[in-house]
Amino acid sequence: MKKPILVGAVLYDPKVSVIWDIIAEYFAHNGCPIDTIFYTNYELQVQALLAGSIGIAWNSPLAWLDAQRQSKGTCRAIAMRDTDRDRQSHFIVRQDSEIESISELRGKTVAVGAKDSPQATLIPIGMLQAHGLEPGRDFQVRRFDILVGKHGDHIGGELEAFRCLASGEAAASTMLDLNWQRWTQDGTIDPSRYRILASTDRFDHCVFTVRSDFPKDLEQQWLGVLFSMQYDNPKHREMMDMEGLKQWMPGRTTGFGPLSEAVAKQRFFEQ
Amino acid sequence: MNEQYLSQVRVLSHENAKEASVAVRRQCFSVGQAIEFDSEAPLASALEYVLGALGADIVTGFKRLADRRGVAVDEVEALITGRLNNPLVYLGVVGEKGNPGLEHVSVKVFVSTFAPADTIEEVWQEVLRRSPLVCTFRRAVTLELNWKAAF
Repeated sequence: MKKPILVGAVLYDPKVSVIWDIIAEYFAHNGCPIDTIFYTNYELQVQALLAGSIGIAWNSPLAWLDAQRQSKGTCRAIAMRDTDRDRQSHFIVRQDSEIESISELRGKTVAVGAKDSPQATLIPIGMLQAHGLEPGRDFQVRRFDILVGKHGDHIGGELEAFRCLASGEAAASTMLDLNWQRWTQDGTIDPSRYRILASTDRFDHCVFTVRSDFPKDLEQQWLGVLFSMQYDNPKHREMMDMEGLKQWMPGRTTGFGPLSEAVAKQRFFEQ
Repeated sequence: MNEQYLSQVRVLSHENAKEASVAVRRQCFSVGQAIEFDSEAPLASALEYVLGALGADIVTGFKRLADRRGVAVDEVEALITGRLNNPLVYLGVVGEKGNPGLEHVSVKVFVSTFAPADTIEEVWQEVLRRSPLVCTFRRAVTLELNWKAAF
């Protein structure tokens, strides 16, 4: 029997394991068996990747930066979802708010997600810093540290931040564009009462990561199977809908600029 | 303990690791894996069978006792909810703590009857006293048991 490639993933909800069961089954049927190793947080997963305990890691953008930082830039980004590309985070305010620009958040409270959430905390705060607003000095941060270690995968932090805005305890809250879309459609947010004040630069999200010494032939075989998944195949669609994509794409590293800058400014890895 | 009161079932694995066959007396049924997270899975999980068995014990026990006492009961329905300590441990998530076992089980029983509440309460207490699974669960988990009349 062919030795499976070990793929790491962070799991915050047992239901997510169903997605990986479908992926593993598909890879096995296509002659490229994988075994998924689940981790409770990205720190453990990055350690496992760099120690060689797993071959491929499904990394958050922050975990990607951490892997690059620890490996001195030698890891490779090999694949991502179409929906991981060109994301934005929004600053949401009440429709009747007098705030019309980012700089008017001076002196206000901004509700954000978990401290390690790229989309709900690090990148939005980085944008405020780029506008000359320092947290604690020029504006107050109300942070919702839900499931820290999972890099904001869990939407709870963003939702609590929005509830903080809704209760009037914050002047603005932050959230990923996809969550704004979803929540204004499903009734979680009434779009007649809230609006987007500003949006961050575009950034990329999760990415499959390998070490520099991961065998190229294995990588090509694995990518060949991954990229052969088709949204119009009903068997693949179930998993792709659950994972929120329509197509697997090659990995790229050009979309991590906003997060890299935010992490550097906020000295995230020095804490 | 007298051996004649032992209860026994035979369980066989399948090539498919997500299914087991259970043979009991002249019957056979299939059970899925320990816990199921896929809402489309074709088989009930072992955990769901356990909760179902507890509910079946209670509703059949209730009906049987009510019939014997001449208490008119049309239907008895039980809603059983089990909470695990940490299902991620079952999935082998590295770094998770705790155990995958049941920690809390809530049983809500709806009794369709016009009988007086104190009469139903007497039946209910007797059902709980005589239920093999209620007595077992009480020793193992936090068990919350309630009944309500439904008309």
